[in-house]
Amino acid sequence: MTLASTATTGAPSGQRPQLVIDKVFKQFGVGPGAVTAVDHVSFDVKPGEFVSVIGPSGCGKSTLFNIIGGLLDEYEGDVLIERERIAGPHKAVGMVFQEESTFPWRNVIDNVAFPLELQGVNKSERLDRAHHFIDLVGLKGFERLMPSALSGGMRQRVSIARTLVFQPQILLMDEPFAALDEQTRLLLGDKITQIQQDLNQTTLLITHNLTEAVQLSDRIVVMTYRPGKVKRIVDIDLPRPRSSDVVSSDAFGHYVAEIWADLREEASRGMADSESARRGGSRG
Amino acid sequence: MAATGQVKDLTATMGWARGGRSSLRSTNLIRIGLLLGMGIGWEALSRSGLLFRDVVPSLFSIWAAIWKLVMNPAFYANLQVTAWEIFASLAIGGGLGVAVGIILGANRFLGAAYEPYVYYLAPTPRIIFFPVMIMWFGVGVASKIALGALSCFFTVALSTAGGMREIDKVLIRVGRSFRATPWQMAMKIYLPAMRVPVLNGIRLGFGTATVTALLAETKLSNQGLGFMIMQIYSRFDMPSLYGLLIIVFILAGVGNLILGKATGTSA
Amino acid sequence: MASPSFSQSRAFPILLGASTFIGAFVALEVLLRYGVVNKYVVPLPSQVLMSLERIVVEENIVGRMRDTAWEMFVSCIAVIVLGVPMGALLYRWQPLRRALLDWVAALAAAPLVLAFPLFLVIFGRSATTVIVMSVITGLAPIVIKTTEGLLGVRSVLINVGRSLKMTDAQMLRMILLPAALPVIFSGIRLSWTFVLISVVGIEFLINLGGLGQLINDLAERYDLPGTYGAIGFVILVSVIFFMLLERVESWLRPAR
Repeated sequence: MTLASTATTGAPSGQRPQLVIDKVFKQFGVGPGAVTAVDHVSFDVKPGEFVSVIGPSGCGKSTLFNIIGGLLDEYEGDVLIERERIAGPHKAVGMVFQEESTFPWRNVIDNVAFPLELQGVNKSERLDRAHHFIDLVGLKGFERLMPSALSGGMRQRVSIARTLVFQPQILLMDEPFAALDEQTRLLLGDKITQIQQDLNQTTLLITHNLTEAVQLSDRIVVMTYRPGKVKRIVDIDLPRPRSSDVVSSDAFGHYVAEIWADLREEASRGMADSESARRGGSRG
Repeated sequence: MAATGQVKDLTATMGWARGGRSSLRSTNLIRIGLLLGMGIGWEALSRSGLLFRDVVPSLFSIWAAIWKLVMNPAFYANLQVTAWEIFASLAIGGGLGVAVGIILGANRFLGAAYEPYVYYLAPTPRIIFFPVMIMWFGVGVASKIALGALSCFFTVALSTAGGMREIDKVLIRVGRSFRATPWQMAMKIYLPAMRVPVLNGIRLGFGTATVTALLAETKLSNQGLGFMIMQIYSRFDMPSLYGLLIIVFILAGVGNLILGKATGTSA
Repeated sequence: MASPSFSQSRAFPILLGASTFIGAFVALEVLLRYGVVNKYVVPLPSQVLMSLERIVVEENIVGRMRDTAWEMFVSCIAVIVLGVPMGALLYRWQPLRRALLDWVAALAAAPLVLAFPLFLVIFGRSATTVIVMSVITGLAPIVIKTTEGLLGVRSVLINVGRSLKMTDAQMLRMILLPAALPVIFSGIRLSWTFVLISVVGIEFLINLGGLGQLINDLAERYDLPGTYGAIGFVILVSVIFFMLLERVESWLRPAR
């Protein structure tokens, strides 16, 4: 388990990174029962880059997500956006959550226009921009429907559109496709890739799905099992623009195998941990 | 897993709803503070002369009035009458309610036919039936018992019927597979399963019967605590009015508490 | 069997129930006409039905309904205007909630209506007494359900708001209250039911105002069929009110 070196790892063009995570450390509780979720994690995300953070369940990915998103503010280390330490949710960051997050009492277009409503954008411009992003995620024609009339995948697309609509510089996503089936996942992955390429959107994706990470990312940060450290950072040199067809290429298979070797080790540790917890009755 | 769980907890609450370890001490401090504040405010209002004379009587005069009432044998005589009315209402209305509730809950067909009537007639101002009860039972205690019984019948019947429906069908089948006699079925399966809903219904019914009996007494009666309240009212004896109301509320609360403990259900 | 028999259809029990009551009416009519039941205690059901027309025409039923409706309207609005903010306050401050929620629950169970003589003294025999009393009776369910509803809002929705840097007021208005609305409305339904019972009940007790007083009047005049008819009418109105509230509540319940 090697600790990745600091933020300038693998930066060929020397571009100033937009998002920097610097030795972030988070421990829950104190004393002997304390749990270290994130153990001095460092990496960066450059403008326009798609970076995935992957690791087994329980490696602190979600903690990291909440810290970067500014929802968790008691931690050590720094999260820097354009070289400024964040204090609470940063206006340049748009978050897409794992759970179902559409507002059930608003229809699709009112959901998507929500952030613009908060910003005080006038109605016609709001609706225009909302329409644009609804189209972008492939939900044209569904604007007036209520979320309850949509499938899980469609609702997640609404959430994504709602986050994109105010054009955040950094898109932060926590396993947004976790609840979806494989085909929907692949197709949505296509959509995300396309959007990201069209908008040159800086994206940080938290996931446990290896194929998804390889399919979508420029770089992958592999995390260890708890306490979560950076095990490896892998550059994904698959050609851009990318589509879901890439999953059948040889290079894809190699990347998956390579990263799986790392992941498997961590995932086994995770399993062993929970099994001994079950047997021993201690907190898993 | 604990880590992610904890993260969810922390991020799940709003900054301000996240209360952390609000100890018992601060809870009690707030309560005491509130009571003291209200007491002082009341007393100040009372002495300020802002409101018409005795609308807000001094706490001391109320306390004195309470003492006087508690020492007055008439209070106990009236209490006895009211208590008897409540008890009889509950016995009759509750008894009928349990019986009807069992039938409606056990038999799906009868339940579909008649329970809607019970359900929709329950949240109605049943006190307006009082003139009818007077016509049928006279102006004495009987009319109030009848009205009280009518009131708490609905509460108990609905609670019982609901309880019957909730009984795990599996348990019933188990009983049948052991070829239990009807008596055994009743004793070993139905009764234990029904204990909580029935007793809870009775506890709620107690509340209903209490209010009904007391209100009916205020309307037309020459006995009972409700009658006593109206007596005091007609004398404009404000401290005593507050005093008696406080006593009645305390008694009702205690009754509810005792029933709650006895039946093992919460308020 | 291709189609369910009539006895298994959903209509059958309803018809049975209805016909039982109609049958009871008819039986009562017969028993009364034959002198089996005392006519001076129970009026002929047919006469009761006929009295309804008389009541509507002679007793200014519209005016009375308007009086009751006005008291109800003010009470119902007041109970929301007071209760929802109180519930929101209890939600916002946990120490306050821990201290007071039990007390509010206790108040909800207490026979507060009994204090009406007090308000008679303070406000006199007036609509104000009816309204104040009914508001007090109906307040607790809304406070409790508002707090409960707000506490039950899914945390991810709150996090969406936080990630968008919403202010407290924005959160409450645009996320918390809409998300909690189904639960809050179940409190409103409970509360408004209590309000109706309280308004009519107190009108009856203090002999004032609309429908409650009507019953009083008719009873004091020994107008037997009228009394029964009026009671039936008021019960019918309250049942309809309750059904409407239920309809709205189930409409609000999320379809998911």
